[in-house]
Amino acid sequence: MPERERLLDFYERMVRCMLWEQKLLRFIDEGKISGFYHAGRGQEGTQVGAVAALGPDDYMMYAHRGCGYMVARGMPMSKLFGDFLANTEGSTRGLGAGIVHIAWPQLGILGQSGTLGGCFPIAAGAALSAKYRGTDQVCLCFFGDGTANRGTFHEAANAASVWKLPVIWLCENNQWAVSVSVREATAVKQIADRAGAYGMPGEVVDGQDVVAVYEAVSRAVERARRGEGPSLIEAMTYRFRGHYEGDPDTYRDREEVERWRKERDPILLLANRLRSEGLASEQDLEQIRARVQREVDEAAEEALGAPMPERERIFEFVTA
Amino acid sequence: MPGTISYTEALREALDEELGRDERTFFMGEDVGAFGGIFGEAAGLQQKYGKERVFDTPISETFIVGGGVGAAITGLRPIVELQFADFVSVAMDEIYNKAAKWRYMHGGLFKVPLVIIAPEGAMGGAGPEHSQCPEALFWSAAGLYVLTPATPADAKGLLKSAIRDDNPVLFLPHKALGNTTGEVPEGEHLVPLGEAVVRRQGGDVTLVAWSAMVLKALEAADRLAEEGIEVEVIDPRGIRPFDFETVLRSVEKTGRVVLAHEAPLPGGPGSEVAAVIAERAIASLEAPVRRVGAPDVPVPQSAHLERFVVPQTEDIVNAVREVAGSAVTA
Repeated sequence: MPERERLLDFYERMVRCMLWEQKLLRFIDEGKISGFYHAGRGQEGTQVGAVAALGPDDYMMYAHRGCGYMVARGMPMSKLFGDFLANTEGSTRGLGAGIVHIAWPQLGILGQSGTLGGCFPIAAGAALSAKYRGTDQVCLCFFGDGTANRGTFHEAANAASVWKLPVIWLCENNQWAVSVSVREATAVKQIADRAGAYGMPGEVVDGQDVVAVYEAVSRAVERARRGEGPSLIEAMTYRFRGHYEGDPDTYRDREEVERWRKERDPILLLANRLRSEGLASEQDLEQIRARVQREVDEAAEEALGAPMPERERIFEFVTA
Repeated sequence: MPGTISYTEALREALDEELGRDERTFFMGEDVGAFGGIFGEAAGLQQKYGKERVFDTPISETFIVGGGVGAAITGLRPIVELQFADFVSVAMDEIYNKAAKWRYMHGGLFKVPLVIIAPEGAMGGAGPEHSQCPEALFWSAAGLYVLTPATPADAKGLLKSAIRDDNPVLFLPHKALGNTTGEVPEGEHLVPLGEAVVRRQGGDVTLVAWSAMVLKALEAADRLAEEGIEVEVIDPRGIRPFDFETVLRSVEKTGRVVLAHEAPLPGGPGSEVAAVIAERAIASLEAPVRRVGAPDVPVPQSAHLERFVVPQTEDIVNAVREVAGSAVTA
């Protein structure tokens, strides 16, 4: 893909993540859904950059910081709205996935472990499966800096490295595990410093720079496809909103939050680059935003029209 | 023509036949490769099927089970082993939340055709963390099948059915049964999941026994028959799905019931069965329900003391006698 088209594609995907979330936040304000949503605003650069490095058949285990992972992957937005509205349009067909348990197997979106860190062994297992079946699929596993401290990472990362499984461990380090700073909970300066202990490459990347994330993850994907095993990438990022909607967010310094919002917004940073390099005018970007807004509105309308499930739904799909 | 083989050999045959039948199956666990499994259940399998299909894992139980889940939801049919059933506690999140619930909580979009083999039970001084029978921990694990084979025929037939089933199965062979022998049908032998079997018919007392207790229950029934007490021995073959109908039908006939398992009494396999009998068949009871199980203590390391924890045939005989001779009094 030529550079200009690639950058515009990144911009459009990040805008889609942002506008989808804006609509969802309106649903929360209107009382249509609960506030158990962990907004992803601010982390679009990491999520879009990483997901854009995947091929169509690859697997993905997403984290709970917004739905940018699924939006960027191209999952129908109406399905995502349906999961929050808990109606039959949702991917779980009315079970009410909320921020966890959305799935879309046709795009390799394997679901989410509600217990943090449950993703690691499953991601390694999906990668083992790809290798066993002789495909060139990889599994991209997102997790936060807080989740990085689960022991399951040790077991899965070791197994993935010793067997050279095609996994990309992608840590979104937004520096806060709910109310606890990464500095108070993590013994190493960077999560990526741990990579050496598992015999895999580790890399710290600017998570607000979608292109840098894309390039780093692309290198890891290529390495995995060559059969050389997993990589650990730590994207330094920040969440612009509270941990959940309604979080008083008293634990973070206001100046820190404002600085990231003003200076380190991944969408504004890319827009500036597109304009300054003469790749797009503000009018071009406005057209993209308007088109995506229409898509989001249509998806929301479609989802709002779907019925709620009946009681029988709770007994479905317990077993195969 | 049935052949007589050991329980361990039956497990090995099941693995061998199913690995041979379906290339989507593989077997991974601690020491299951060249070593053949610490109980011999995988002897020769790596040599036959190669290191890609039968392989050793690091000592990493959350990976063993969670990795199995990841492979199962992406088109394979993994068989994984926890070296001792006690280790379910190490991988509890992976068994109870992931294997059991992944299909349900993701709206039926995935199947989890995973078998977790985890040898259970006391066997001569293995101690408190290598001797337990944890099946009853999983009464509430909706989505998970939990099986406890008592005979070589069931060890083979249940394991083969489990491997072919599209649901996650926790398969708990009993370590002390490994050298027991029995007839196993030649050729394709499958035992349906979730069906109890009546091991001996009798009209006086219903005796539900799990796993190694089935053998002791049958010994007890022989002795009690000499005293004129006819015992109906039911082997539920596991915990989930549970064949309550077979048990209730028998209780309605006999009006007297003993539930026997190796796990401790509190929260053991018998607890839920007693509750269901109370809900659905209390009017049929002519005597209080009696449970036989380990006392409310851990399994001691000393083999000398272990004997006093594991229920014996004599305990079952005494319980049945008590139930047969007593009447419910208001």
